[in-house]
Amino acid sequence: MSITTERSQISLLRRDRKLRPDWLLLIAYTALSALGLLMIYTASAPRLEAIGVSPTRELEQQAAFVLIGFMAFGVVSLIKVVTIRPWVSAIYLGSIVTLVLVLSPLGSSVKGAQRWMQLGPIRFQPSEIAKLAVILALAALLSAAARPMRWDRVARAVVLVAVPSVLIFRQPDLGTMLTFGFIAGVMIFVAGATWRQMAALIVAGLVGTVALFQVGAIQEYQITRLTAFLDPVTDVLGAQYNQFQSQVAIGTGGLFGKGLFNGTQTNLRFVPEQSSDFIFTAVGEQLGFAGSFIVLVLFGIIIWRVLVSAANASGRFGQLISTGVAALLAFHVFVNVGMTVRLMPVTGLPLPFMSSGGTVFVMMSIALGLAHSTWMRRPTLPMERSAAS
Amino acid sequence: MTGTWRIAVVGVVLAVMLGALGLRLWTIQVTETDEYTAEAERNLIRVVPTPAPRGDILDRNGELLAGTKASLAAVVDMALVDDDFQEGLAQRLSAFLNQPASEILERFENANSGAQIILAEDLTERQALIIFEHREDFPGVAVIPQPIRDYPGGDLAAQVLGYIGKPSEADLERPGVKGTDVVGKAGIERFYDDRLRGVEGVIKYQVDAGRSVLQRLGEQESAPGDNLVLTIDSGIQAQLQDSLEAGLGLARELEMAERREALEEENGDIRSRLFLAREAAQLEATRAALEAEAAAENSAEEGIAADEDSVAVDTAVEIDEGKVLGSLYPGLPIDGEGVCVPVQRVEVGVASRTLLSGIKERTMRLEAVVQDRSRRIAVVDIDGERFEVEEGDSFATTLRVIAVTDDDIVVSHTDKWCPVRAVGVVEDPNDGSIIAMASYPSFEPAAFVSGLTQTEWESLGTINAFTNFAVQGQYAPASTFKTVSYVLAMEEGVYPLDRPVGDRILGDEHTEAAPPGEEGGAEEEGGAEEGGGAEEEGGAEEEPVQPIPSDSELKPLTSDTDLYNCTGSLRFQFNDGSSQVYRDWKRNGHGPLDLHGALQASCDLYFWEISLRIWNERSDETGINNEDLWQEWARSFGFGTESGIDLPFEKPGLIPDRQWFRDEQRKDTGRVRSTGPWVGGDLMNAIVGQGAVLVTPLQLANGFSAMLNGGTLWTPRVVSEMVDQGGNVVDENPKSVIQTIDMDPATVRTLRRDMQQVVNGPIGTSRAAFIGFGPNVSTVGGKTGTAEIIKATEDVQEVDTAWFVGVAPVLSPDYVVTVVVERGGSGGRVAAPVARQVLQYILNGERAVTSLEAGADTD
Repeated sequence: MSITTERSQISLLRRDRKLRPDWLLLIAYTALSALGLLMIYTASAPRLEAIGVSPTRELEQQAAFVLIGFMAFGVVSLIKVVTIRPWVSAIYLGSIVTLVLVLSPLGSSVKGAQRWMQLGPIRFQPSEIAKLAVILALAALLSAAARPMRWDRVARAVVLVAVPSVLIFRQPDLGTMLTFGFIAGVMIFVAGATWRQMAALIVAGLVGTVALFQVGAIQEYQITRLTAFLDPVTDVLGAQYNQFQSQVAIGTGGLFGKGLFNGTQTNLRFVPEQSSDFIFTAVGEQLGFAGSFIVLVLFGIIIWRVLVSAANASGRFGQLISTGVAALLAFHVFVNVGMTVRLMPVTGLPLPFMSSGGTVFVMMSIALGLAHSTWMRRPTLPMERSAAS
Repeated sequence: MTGTWRIAVVGVVLAVMLGALGLRLWTIQVTETDEYTAEAERNLIRVVPTPAPRGDILDRNGELLAGTKASLAAVVDMALVDDDFQEGLAQRLSAFLNQPASEILERFENANSGAQIILAEDLTERQALIIFEHREDFPGVAVIPQPIRDYPGGDLAAQVLGYIGKPSEADLERPGVKGTDVVGKAGIERFYDDRLRGVEGVIKYQVDAGRSVLQRLGEQESAPGDNLVLTIDSGIQAQLQDSLEAGLGLARELEMAERREALEEENGDIRSRLFLAREAAQLEATRAALEAEAAAENSAEEGIAADEDSVAVDTAVEIDEGKVLGSLYPGLPIDGEGVCVPVQRVEVGVASRTLLSGIKERTMRLEAVVQDRSRRIAVVDIDGERFEVEEGDSFATTLRVIAVTDDDIVVSHTDKWCPVRAVGVVEDPNDGSIIAMASYPSFEPAAFVSGLTQTEWESLGTINAFTNFAVQGQYAPASTFKTVSYVLAMEEGVYPLDRPVGDRILGDEHTEAAPPGEEGGAEEEGGAEEGGGAEEEGGAEEEPVQPIPSDSELKPLTSDTDLYNCTGSLRFQFNDGSSQVYRDWKRNGHGPLDLHGALQASCDLYFWEISLRIWNERSDETGINNEDLWQEWARSFGFGTESGIDLPFEKPGLIPDRQWFRDEQRKDTGRVRSTGPWVGGDLMNAIVGQGAVLVTPLQLANGFSAMLNGGTLWTPRVVSEMVDQGGNVVDENPKSVIQTIDMDPATVRTLRRDMQQVVNGPIGTSRAAFIGFGPNVSTVGGKTGTAEIIKATEDVQEVDTAWFVGVAPVLSPDYVVTVVVERGGSGGRVAAPVARQVLQYILNGERAVTSLEAGADTD
């Protein structure tokens, strides 16, 4: 190591100022977004045409969101994560307020669930924003944790997650609630919780879930949806109709798929919500295992790069944010794709970067931007880096 | 940093999760793909939507106005028809649907693979049964119940009910609306579309690899829309429509009589004699032609269809060869019968002539059609004047070319002075319920269900038959608006100055009180509307003989019973020596009158004096600002804003004030004169319902209701409640009060009495129209109005909007009847008789209705 030579010094200074983007991450992110647009078009065009409106209508809408998301990603990448830190409590509280408001008459309901907020011309889902807020809040709280972590901090982290969870549960949005649990578990673990603390958290989570069932706080339709996927095919018109049709559609895709617009199942409206929650079905049926596998690999690359940014982070705050983002993305992918292949119950979690929907795309882009920002500012001195890279 | 191993652990966990997905996908898509493919073939499920029946619309007595007829439709699901099977299927369907196989096949080929084609809308039971029983012969064909909208009353309350049609882009934004649905486009059908439409159901079929239906898996039944109960009374509605139609006919006959008179007056004019002779001959010929036609084809079609028939005028007559493409006015005499036609579509062949309706009739002759490269130019001669025109051109003021072919021309022609429309509203002043509402010409909503032809659409569109002019038409209310000033005078104690003669001097301080010379020509939309007879006279006007006392020397009258000398004219003398005279509609005046007499006889002068007092005292030393005194009173009765009725596209009308006037000038809309501020003359015009004042017939009915019921302004409504299919009331549109105006009971009492006198009293302006009313005439009250609209052309000076507002029983009103005849002439002569018939029906029953005859020519 020759940091004393003039050459190294100059290069050190220069490189310190220079932001180095993660090209691999950028490529995967762009590729998934583009593929998402294509899939949304193939899934929505025949349906839109059939009802007599422009077949590109949904595509155009989503393309606008993608552009906004790209811009958000770019802007957030340029912001140093620690500069956000003083704002974290405000973001967290603001997010709680919107979650409360969405339950009030201000929120609007779609398919029986109150998930939308209208703010002037903008309509968004507060629960999506809450995911980001929870990651930031947990990162702020846990980055100050002692090692090994003390029990009171674990408890505070649980409370931090429990408040929005309860509010989201009232909407009701079971998927988002489970996401919180998973993110919190991963972040608390990376922040330095002991094995005993982790075990206690898992037990508490299980007990809590059972208690909710017992009290009857979970609606019947949610139970049906949760358990239906375990049953063999009995009633194709029942609760698991969507899922069953989705699984069949993906199964018929074979190795290389039926080709774009040739997916009889997706294109002919057998699978509902194709462009939002069941967008992966369109991939599976039209592009086959090859396409599905590429999508999984692209997600793998993103999650891997985000975890690498966590490992190389210069501070614990940034490291925990990246960890949370990786957990968020992985959980969404696992639950969503798992749902389309009947590995997981139907919970309504969208597939990041691919499902149609504005709030989700922009929020996921911001999350990814945070991790990317951490990567671009990673310390360049080998001695400052952590060993895992 | 320590703890990087923890991140690695997380990485492993996440990798396992993704790996599990990959494994699962491998199993499904590669290992077991054949099973899934088989499964997909076995379990092709088709979801066929079943439309929800639209809710019924009933009148207040439960009579059906709009309902739903059940019908069976044959629908082909293209997803289930193999390409190589299409031809066979088309053959088979053709045989029993009575459609050419080639046509069916063409529709198959043009449809995309996911489409569902409706092949036949109204299957017979037998046809439906054949499809059901021979399913294997008709793969992909389903019989589904298809509700069809039905309007048993024909054109009854057509503009209130509105019509349905394909959704527009904006409609598709609403939740639950698909491009294949039908939605309400106008009237109640539109306003209550969400209530009427119901929720679509679905039928799920399981089909096999051979693509024939294996079984019906399940059905989610559609939920029909709610039924609406209207406040409309079908009987009164029908009478109103009949009377409006007859009234418009009467107005047109009167117009023609006037034109004839004017022609005869032109002594020695050869054209007039020619015209009269020609017309007599033509009448004869047309009658003969029509009789022959009637004999030839006994079956007279009804409604629009019949009116769209081209009516050829017998070639034996001198003026003739043109073809009038439908009168456009269903039920009224067609052109060539000596009655004017507001809008004509005329087709003329080369070297043929046709007659154009107008104040002086003209003949149009097509000399030739010249081909000039890609353009066709028609050479047209109109009474000796030559025009070279092509498609789309407007020429000779009133003509527009619709089409030019090699040997003929189709033109649309407007007669701007021919009475064009009659509108009526009957309201219950006790709760704002609309009992009847109509405008004529009208249409049949059912025509939209089967689809209008292009010509039908154009014809009815040209005359705005689809528009509900009761809420969308804005007219100057004329003298009917004197009631507003009447209430103002009573409530505020503003009465005229006690003036021995009508002349007044305008000193410096008064200069702005009178309108500048160009006032009379202030342009309004669709023509100029002018003050009740303002005439400009130059400096040549002879000097007044008597010395004129100035306003400050005159004492105001102090009560509603003080007499005012209505001399017939008000002269304003300006400092520059010029003067301007405002004349009453009755040139010689009405003599001494109090406020009540002024309303009964509709004396303009009395109300102008009120406006002059408001104007002169608009701000006094006590700091009171009465600038908008009249406007405030007018607005308090709902004028100038939408009433909030449950019908779409309502117009607000207009109560002009200084601010509005200034804004219009700034925006340079051409609706007001371009120079000078808002002056007293503008208020003078406004106070007698002229100038820029605009109201809808509904607003007038509603405003009168409020004045007559003691000051309660109701939100008018046409729907009273929503009822589900079982007859249970699910929702209400309750009566609601917009505001309560504090009115002295004495004002209400005298207003009712004076309106009664308008109909029954010796000087009443509608007395003549109500002669022969029968019993109960003493319980009828009313107010006439005649708005003068100046049409700026050389032929004619003015057209009048005829108004009448009737009320019964006058001492405790249950019905307020508003009638307006656009370009109809005098209110007392044309509008009052129409309202008279409706009131006869209401008070004395259907049999008591006497035939429509012109009343007296009054303001």
